[in-house]
Amino acid sequence: MALTLADRRDQQFVLNEQLKIGELCEAELYCDLNTKTFDLLLNEARNLAVKELLATFKESDQIGAVLEDGAVKVPPSFHRAYKLFCEGEWLTVSDDTEVGGQGMPCVLGAATLELFAGANLAFSIYAMLGHGAGKLYEIFGTPEQKKLFLPNVYSGKWGGTMCLTEPSAGSDVGALTTTAVKNDDGTYSISGTKIFISAGDHDMVENIIHPVLARIEGDAPGTGGISIFIVPKIWVNEDGSLGEQNDVECVRIEEKMGIHGSATCVLSFGAKGKCRGFLLGQERQGMKIMFHMMNEERLNVGVQGLAGASAAYANAVNYARERLQSRNILKSRDPEAPQVPIIEHPDVRRMLLQMKAYVDGLRSLNYYVGLCMDRARISRSDDDKVKYQGLVDLMTPICKAYSTDKGCFVAQEAIQIYGGYGYTQEYPVEQIYRDTKITTIYEGTNGIQAMDLLGRKLGMNKGQVFIDFLGQINQTVMEAKKIDSLAEMAAKVDEAANKLGKTAMVLGKAARSEQVLAAFANAYGFMESMGDVILGWMHLWRAVVAHPALEKAAKGRDIAQAVASSKDAAFYDGQIKTARFFINTMLPLALGRMDAVMAMESAAVDIADGSFGS
Amino acid sequence: MEILVCVKRVPDTAENEIAVKADGTDIVRDDVVYSVNEWDNYAVEEAIQIRDNVGGTVTVVSVGDEESEEIIRREMAMGADKGVLLSDAAFEGSDGLGVATILKSFVDKGKYDLILTGALADDGAGQVGGMLAALLDLPYASVVNKIEVKGDKLLVGREIEGGNQEMNEISLPCVLSIQTGINEPRYVGIRGIRKVASLEIPCDGKDACGLDAGVVGAAGSKVKRLTYFVPELGEGAEMIEGSTEEQVEKVIEILKAKGGIK
Repeated sequence: MALTLADRRDQQFVLNEQLKIGELCEAELYCDLNTKTFDLLLNEARNLAVKELLATFKESDQIGAVLEDGAVKVPPSFHRAYKLFCEGEWLTVSDDTEVGGQGMPCVLGAATLELFAGANLAFSIYAMLGHGAGKLYEIFGTPEQKKLFLPNVYSGKWGGTMCLTEPSAGSDVGALTTTAVKNDDGTYSISGTKIFISAGDHDMVENIIHPVLARIEGDAPGTGGISIFIVPKIWVNEDGSLGEQNDVECVRIEEKMGIHGSATCVLSFGAKGKCRGFLLGQERQGMKIMFHMMNEERLNVGVQGLAGASAAYANAVNYARERLQSRNILKSRDPEAPQVPIIEHPDVRRMLLQMKAYVDGLRSLNYYVGLCMDRARISRSDDDKVKYQGLVDLMTPICKAYSTDKGCFVAQEAIQIYGGYGYTQEYPVEQIYRDTKITTIYEGTNGIQAMDLLGRKLGMNKGQVFIDFLGQINQTVMEAKKIDSLAEMAAKVDEAANKLGKTAMVLGKAARSEQVLAAFANAYGFMESMGDVILGWMHLWRAVVAHPALEKAAKGRDIAQAVASSKDAAFYDGQIKTARFFINTMLPLALGRMDAVMAMESAAVDIADGSFGS
Repeated sequence: MEILVCVKRVPDTAENEIAVKADGTDIVRDDVVYSVNEWDNYAVEEAIQIRDNVGGTVTVVSVGDEESEEIIRREMAMGADKGVLLSDAAFEGSDGLGVATILKSFVDKGKYDLILTGALADDGAGQVGGMLAALLDLPYASVVNKIEVKGDKLLVGREIEGGNQEMNEISLPCVLSIQTGINEPRYVGIRGIRKVASLEIPCDGKDACGLDAGVVGAAGSKVKRLTYFVPELGEGAEMIEGSTEEQVEKVIEILKAKGGIK
């Protein structure tokens, strides 16, 4: 059986048993929903992902998006998939029903995106950007702007993008040169070139409503002088009808390593002097407004990293069960011994379990952050709202950077499991790797995420957010210590969490001292360590949930016997074994890395440019 | 038109490695993923399309355990108007005639112009539709792959051996068993799911159905499965080696040589 997407049983475990999302239905916002509804939703998302989106996977890579006569065409199979995706209203899973959304919890938005992006990452980009742009119009648009744009953007009839990057303004957005000049009718004339614009032009929608960062003539340089504009590809008249072309032209699309189905466009605004846009929000608030979209997309990209990992792992584990090669190591000297599936070889098992540990851990992490968003949404007390929103903000760079780093690692290991075949286009894992790689780069490179964590997030609310976060880990540690067989693992997670707290103090202090450069040179190590500690926590949490469930599934039998005869028992025992593997073999590496971070080695900033070599 | 569609919850063969229990009494059902029987899903889609064209309501009914509620809910999210579960400990172990008897008791309480079943089920014997028609004394067409409403009659196409097709006229009310491919079942979207989120699906037991425990369930079954097993591998299978393209080419070659395709 080829089950090439996220593991259904594990998704259900995280949602229903670990995070207990059914408890959300106690809140007024979700009181008309229940776990049966959530299960049905996830089933139907899987149905669409497997039957329709996965079918576009190969063509997405082989045909890709093409630019013909100034217009971008997506691979032909995308049209049907996009139509069905929009008909099912999967674009707005967790948006408010009042604005045309489906009102489901955010955690389910993450779970469904894992399925959609796992089926075809390039396809998922169109939906993500359409939604993200729509969210900006929902939050910051005037009533007229919302009326004009929101229904069609949220339904997927019109697309959206995120127009930040320019040739000289990538990670340094403040350096942008696109200009806006106010017209007599209150609109602005936009002029400039944006690059790397995903979904910048395509033929699945009749119009694209671009949010564009630009500087109003005369405004200050740097990020503080940037405003944001709503720029339709085709002008939208006051009555909602489509007007003339608005001088937004796709002049090139990039030839890329992966995500070929996603059109990465160079967009020219106003080259003929006729491009108009509406100011979104207030003047010079552009970056603040765009950060809403960036934060949403960073979380989404984290889920894309998870999706790449889970699809790659599902393929690899299936292959390892089927591929016969070499004899069992205990019979290596017996020439008569048959070849065995490679899953029997200890080093293959080591690789698979490491991949599983990342996939499961990342799933728990990304869904947990979705749940925190829901908790922030439904909490009655302001303190709780602040606490949960703080957890979301703190963990956003981890979701983005750690999930995508490890997503790529898992995809790379999947190729290794396949051996030479994995390196060929005959099997899907090399494409998954190429497609997933972009996730470490776009929406703020992972290096930027590490800097964001150190520079903006660790010190939030005078460090209280980080203390709340450690408190959450401590709760799980306390629960685990009550179970004898988990106490040792609990102590190790506790030790790692304490060390993370200490490392944060040392690093935060260094960042505020003359050691600031060395601190930022160690920010990545801290981000990775925090990711490792979170995964240790998530695995311990899973083990706490799985322990009684395993005893129940064993029904008094010996565990090994139960595991051999019951899929349920095997699943729960797998949780505990995976926790053991991660906490005992992978988490210790983070302890060493944290020592290195605290040592605040400054060689990377001390070394002269010329010393990097000629 | 009042349409009733009989649906069944079955192990999803696309999602499970089906294994037979060591004692041969059943398949291993521990942690098996279930879904609506594929043929039944086509029947529900057909019913929805007919209703949308000529008006009326679509009711979905299932005989099964309480978990079968999930597939009724699913088919209502897809567009059916009503759903009823027929469930009772006394129904367990019913043979095909037993299931048809239970369904008949439900049909008798309503007034349906058209009753659809799947042509067969992944785990079934393809017998309920025909038996139900006989018990109801209604006309019946099996393996239906086309339906056209013509006043108080239907034009129905049937798939017959060798890829041939026949068209029939059938009077309403009638029972039809539906073949896959008759339409393209729609996907269930979130709006549909929301609509059925807090619906209570009514459940009728043997008393509500007016049935005696002796005529249905294991007690009333005259067909009993003795054993369940995977047949031993026979001779004559040819394993095709090579890359995917080579394998495909070889399969096409064999199919052409044996007259499977022209």
